[in-house]
Amino acid sequence: MSDHLLEIKNLKITVATRRNVLNLVDNLTLAVKKGEILGLVGESGAGKSMTGSAIIGLIEKPVKISGGEIWFKGKRIDQHPDEVRGHEISMIFQDPMMSLNPLWRIGDQLIEVITTHMNISHQDAIKKAKHCLVEVGIDPSRMNAYPHTFSGGMRQRVVIALALAPNPSLVIADEPTTALDVSIQAQILDLLKQICKTRGTSIILITHDMAVISQTTDRVCVMYSGRLAEIGITKEIMAHPQHPYTKGLVASTPQIDASSFEKMLYQIPGSMPALDNIPSGCAFHPRCEHAHDKCRAERPEVLSNRAACWLLDANEGQ
Amino acid sequence: MSFIIANHLTRQYDLSDPWIVRMLTSNKRKQLTAVDDVSFSIDKGTTYALVGESGSGKSTIAKMVVGLLAPSAGAITFDGKMINDETISKADRQRLRRRIQMVFQSPYASLNPRWAVGDILKEPIRAFGLFDSRADQDKRVNELLDQVGLSARDANKYPHEFSGGQRQRISIARALSSQPDVIICDEPTSALDVSVQAQVLNLLKTLQKEFSLTYLFISHDLAVVSTMANKIGVLNEGKLVEEAVPSQLFAKPENPYTKMLIDAVPDFGKV
Amino acid sequence: MSGNAMIRRFLKSDFFYDFTHAPIAVVSFVVIMVIVTCAIFAGFIAPTNPFDPSSLELMNGFTPPMQPNAFTGDVFLMGADDQGRDLFSAILYGLRISLFVGVMAVILAMVLGILLGLTAGYVGGWLDNLIMRFADIQMTFPSILIAMLIHGVARGILPPELRYEMSITVLIVAIGLSEWVPFARTVRGSTMVEKEKEYVAAAQLIGLNRWQIMVRHILPNVLSPVLVIATITFALAIIAEATLSFLGVGAPRTEPSLGTLIRIGQDFLFSGEWWILLFPALTLLALALAVNLFGDWLRDKLNPRLK
Ligand SMILES: Nc1ncnc2c1ncn2[C@@H]1O[C@H](COP(=O)(O)OP(=O)(O)OP(=O)(O)O)[C@@H](O)[C@H]1O
Ligand SMILES: Nc1ncnc2c1ncn2[C@@H]1O[C@H](COP(=O)(O)OP(=O)(O)OP(=O)(O)O)[C@@H](O)[C@H]1O
Ligand SMILES: [Mg+2]
Ligand SMILES: [Mg+2]
Repeated sequence: MSDHLLEIKNLKITVATRRNVLNLVDNLTLAVKKGEILGLVGESGAGKSMTGSAIIGLIEKPVKISGGEIWFKGKRIDQHPDEVRGHEISMIFQDPMMSLNPLWRIGDQLIEVITTHMNISHQDAIKKAKHCLVEVGIDPSRMNAYPHTFSGGMRQRVVIALALAPNPSLVIADEPTTALDVSIQAQILDLLKQICKTRGTSIILITHDMAVISQTTDRVCVMYSGRLAEIGITKEIMAHPQHPYTKGLVASTPQIDASSFEKMLYQIPGSMPALDNIPSGCAFHPRCEHAHDKCRAERPEVLSNRAACWLLDANEGQ
Repeated sequence: MSFIIANHLTRQYDLSDPWIVRMLTSNKRKQLTAVDDVSFSIDKGTTYALVGESGSGKSTIAKMVVGLLAPSAGAITFDGKMINDETISKADRQRLRRRIQMVFQSPYASLNPRWAVGDILKEPIRAFGLFDSRADQDKRVNELLDQVGLSARDANKYPHEFSGGQRQRISIARALSSQPDVIICDEPTSALDVSVQAQVLNLLKTLQKEFSLTYLFISHDLAVVSTMANKIGVLNEGKLVEEAVPSQLFAKPENPYTKMLIDAVPDFGKV
Repeated sequence: MSGNAMIRRFLKSDFFYDFTHAPIAVVSFVVIMVIVTCAIFAGFIAPTNPFDPSSLELMNGFTPPMQPNAFTGDVFLMGADDQGRDLFSAILYGLRISLFVGVMAVILAMVLGILLGLTAGYVGGWLDNLIMRFADIQMTFPSILIAMLIHGVARGILPPELRYEMSITVLIVAIGLSEWVPFARTVRGSTMVEKEKEYVAAAQLIGLNRWQIMVRHILPNVLSPVLVIATITFALAIIAEATLSFLGVGAPRTEPSLGTLIRIGQDFLFSGEWWILLFPALTLLALALAVNLFGDWLRDKLNPRLK
């Protein structure tokens, strides 16, 4: 077997509305290696959360997976995601209160998760729960506290502890820091990095913030309109983005720079198309200044050596 | 010359229980000081930015500057006149209002979903009596839409027909419609995607040059602030802990909180 | 927008599509429409005018449905009552009164409820407390009791010669005043949500006063749940009218509403003249059921969270 923990092949997620069928995720192929942090970046509506939900099997009607395969540790899981959900793959959401029961002490919630997924005694479960809290930097003496007595950042730590408790090999973190202040965001991102290093857990980090991607991930996958635009090593993509959309994303992200207020920011014209109005050919072509006829007619795919963009072929030919 | 001066602004919120509960439990009154003795001044035609984390009192200050909220102590003067002065006449107050407008954070909640865009833009024009005839008002609406990069056809559409970035443009057009001198921007881009954020920030800059507008720009994002501000004030728990021009603030922050805030911004590994 | 464009937009809307794909909604809507049309055009559809005493033939009393009368040979679709009145005509004319009372009572309750709810929600403070505590107190009594109370008070105040003429108006006021609370509560709740939104702050910034903000900005945004409550209250109002008339404090015998007809009918139920009770009761049942079913569908449609 390869060193791929998770492989997604040609994933397609659709929803049928009254007038037409919308492609929320369209022909997405990607792989997650053992022990890496893979970033999934894109603007609102790009299909990032849908991809995450598909992996862990949380797609609900009327949305459905209508094509492609998801393989996890050599097993195909898109048919029976509940076999891995929770203990092999777990998920962290943007809003910590979505994963926490406000009426339960956090210790009890941890023990509950541990005993459902592991075959150990209650005593051992308590020990393990304490250990999990220490790992995310929460004083284990707060086992008996209720979630509302924690601040937003601490709650997110508890959620991370809950996600890690059954020793999953993959954690999907869907915008885990979007609702938090920058100072707390930095702590949580550090925590995720540290967990990935010490435990060897793979993490899929979903975010819309290129700066977060740049700071946290090993590899990054850029999505646009439900499609893959570009995938590769974060450092390389940040330094030399290939796809014009990635270029635009990188360039339009504001940076701390004392002289920049005299200049204009780089801006991509227009906005992401509505799902029922995705342009022909390359979905990005109406916003791309270099688009030519082929971009309008034919849809580019990501190849092993380049992003999903026809311009890259043209350049090679020159 | 300082255009807006905030002098020892303080605002408290009463978080006490209802008096009957206080009587029964003998709890004391609880006051939250959301803004604590904040002073700053903004020069004409420049951008003053307030940064701070959630709950640091940024929106409270914004509301006091536009006159939606009265300070508990301290005062704000704008072009030599007191804001929130109870003694001035109705007409004078309306004249003041025209000159200070605001752009809000939420692209969804800041436009009345039942009103067509044209009517949203015409409302301030009518309220301040800027153009009397219907034709002039329509012309002005078209001009405003054009200034923010939308088309005259959009006047008949409703807010839900626009994307988040376009709605923020409508919000900006509404603020411009009274021909103000000052616009308070309370996190105008924090609900937007990066590529759209860049468009809106650039638009704000262009308009500032064109109409020599003065901005009070509020944000929690230091990177955004650094692209917009002539001067930055850092708020922490209602107190202004540091104030400096950007070059100085980012090069050698003096306050430990400012330093922590700058360090926490994810660094961008761009070459 | 021109009327035509609005209709075209409506026919293409998701709302209309969902309506045509919900059999219960369509059926109940058709039932309501048929009943309402029959009531409006009662004058053309009904074979006789049951309010005209001169047209009554006492010999026709107690004629069973679809059977010729032994003396006069007249045939009645739904039979005749004790005074020889054609029941079918009486029901059509009775519906007219019932529907009129229902619609007017709902309008009264709605206007009152919206006004009070909007004020309570927007102004807040002691005024809010006053209005809502009053609503709480009123809600502890069954609304039919309130209606009877108001009815009784009105009768006491009105001079005897007006009592008869005003009886329908009194009925409307009594029912309307007993049903405003749900409107006020809902509108107050939505108003409190809406007033925190930034478009309201924007309106304050240009110096609009409270009244302008309430009416022009907030009111249009709190109306959709009102529509749902209005349909359900309409069903309640019709039943309340029937109940009051049944108890003898509603529409007079000379201008019988559905409730009056049912009251008359129950006198004869055990003597074998079942039709005098059955047909008015069935009509009331069909109407109330259809309005309720339609209201339920509307509620699910307009507010999926309530499901
Ligand atoms: N039940 C549904 N019916 C129709 N469209 C849907 C449905 N659920 C989701 N979508 C659409 O699917 C698209 C992808 O959604 P997704 O949540 O994956 O986006 P995202 O990339 O996570 O964006 P965000 O940054 O806003 O979280 C969105 O445009 C959304 O509107
Ligand atoms: N109407 C109110 N009543 C009571 N407390 C309030 C009220 N409005 C704000 N506060 C409190 O005042 C403090 C400052 O609030 P403010 O909205 O000014 O913060 P902010 O800096 O704008 O934060 P954010 O970034 O979350 O918008 C907070 O602790 C908040 O809870
Ligand atoms: Mg998402
Ligand atoms: Mg705020």
